Amino acid sequence: MSDIKYLETHEWYLMKDDEITVGISDFAQNELGDIVYVTLPEVGQEFEKGAAVVEVEATKTVADAYAPMDCTITAVNSQLETEPETINNDPCGDGWMFKAKVNTVDDSGMSYQEYETFVS
Amino acid sequence: MDKKTTQLHKYHLSQEAKFIDFGDWSMPFSYEGTLKEHDIVRTSSGFFDVSHMGRLEIQYSEIEKISKLICSEIIDIPTNKALYSIFTNADGNALDDVIFWKFDDKIILIPNASNSEKIKSHLDAHNVEFIDKSPDTVLIAVQGPDTIDLIQDKFDIPEKFSTNFSENYLYARTGYTGEDGVEIMANNEDAESLLTFLIEKGIKPCGLGSRDTLRLEASLPLYGFELSEDITPVEASLTWTITNKNDYLGSKRINDQLSGESHKVLKKFIIDSRKIARTETVGIAGETKGLVTSGNFSPMLNKSIGFILFENMPSQDLIEFDIRGNLVEGNIVNKRFLS
Repeated sequence: MSDIKYLETHEWYLMKDDEITVGISDFAQNELGDIVYVTLPEVGQEFEKGAAVVEVEATKTVADAYAPMDCTITAVNSQLETEPETINNDPCGDGWMFKAKVNTVDDSGMSYQEYETFVS
Repeated sequence: MDKKTTQLHKYHLSQEAKFIDFGDWSMPFSYEGTLKEHDIVRTSSGFFDVSHMGRLEIQYSEIEKISKLICSEIIDIPTNKALYSIFTNADGNALDDVIFWKFDDKIILIPNASNSEKIKSHLDAHNVEFIDKSPDTVLIAVQGPDTIDLIQDKFDIPEKFSTNFSENYLYARTGYTGEDGVEIMANNEDAESLLTFLIEKGIKPCGLGSRDTLRLEASLPLYGFELSEDITPVEASLTWTITNKNDYLGSKRINDQLSGESHKVLKKFIIDSRKIARTETVGIAGETKGLVTSGNFSPMLNKSIGFILFENMPSQDLIEFDIRGNLVEGNIVNKRFLS
């Protein structure tokens, strides 16, 4: 399995060299319920660790997905603009939200097992 | 404190429902997802456990006393009718929006879950006698265009907004989703067989999440959001419910507002995107400020919709919402969301 890591704020990230791919966890999408809209960042935007990057509108509530570390956006998953339900259907795969170049490495996320314990 | 659960709680657990705290109650929020359940009710048939709502049985002889507490004509409508109305206080503000089921010998009053105790106290204070049937019964709303076809071999279906009864059930062709259907009251001991019947007919369980998106899309208010003890039926754009020609509690203020006294105004709005203006979002129409009371995504319109309460009648239909710091435009709509 890959080296996906999880944050207490329920994002996952996968770091490869100096780039991360980020989305929200299966637990998070399940808690949010049907996702109907996402506001994605612009390529080139810089975020500090913990800053709100993506706004996720679900029928139940609205939530933010935060930057796992200081980073600069390199790509966004534009499929989510028309099919935001992809996050519900495949949160850790096709439902990825953005890719970003890491500016300050902070690989302190939880492993899958640690995260499972955290949310249970 | 432990939340209350309904007689059907074990079933909800067996279906791995997600639960939500709703007042004192823990109720199913969804089973397969809010949007899927919304679609089931709009296209086929779904059922909701709404046993958290109250069920008060009132002898028919109490009807004149009730008439002095609500804004709608209840005495002169036929005995087999269902009636949506509002209990008002001395200021004409809404204590609760309720459904009455009229039968030959009795009336069933269905208050909102969060207002049941308040309405019981209110009835006590005005010497209206009632028996609280809520602990001994369940209430199940079966809703959607296929409902009548699916259940008519067990239920003698009345006209729309009318009531009927059988040996085991009291029911009415009512609901709160904008779809055809019935709401069925059954004794606790008959709940399981009713549930089994619905499941065998292929009718799917639906939770309060879809009930909320359905009622909003059907342009129906929800107490605690659109309605409160700080708003009259006139202000809530429920003037159609004001059919009681006699004096009733708060009727003076309501009549003054109907005669042109300035008042707050509840409006419906559409935003041409999926960005949701949620409860308490500020919206400005021209010079008039409003606060969103409910907002959500409308699956049928594929847009965001909601209700907004303005301080007074806005002079224009364009609303500028401040959605979490972003300016989003919407428009007031005066017709129903769904035609």
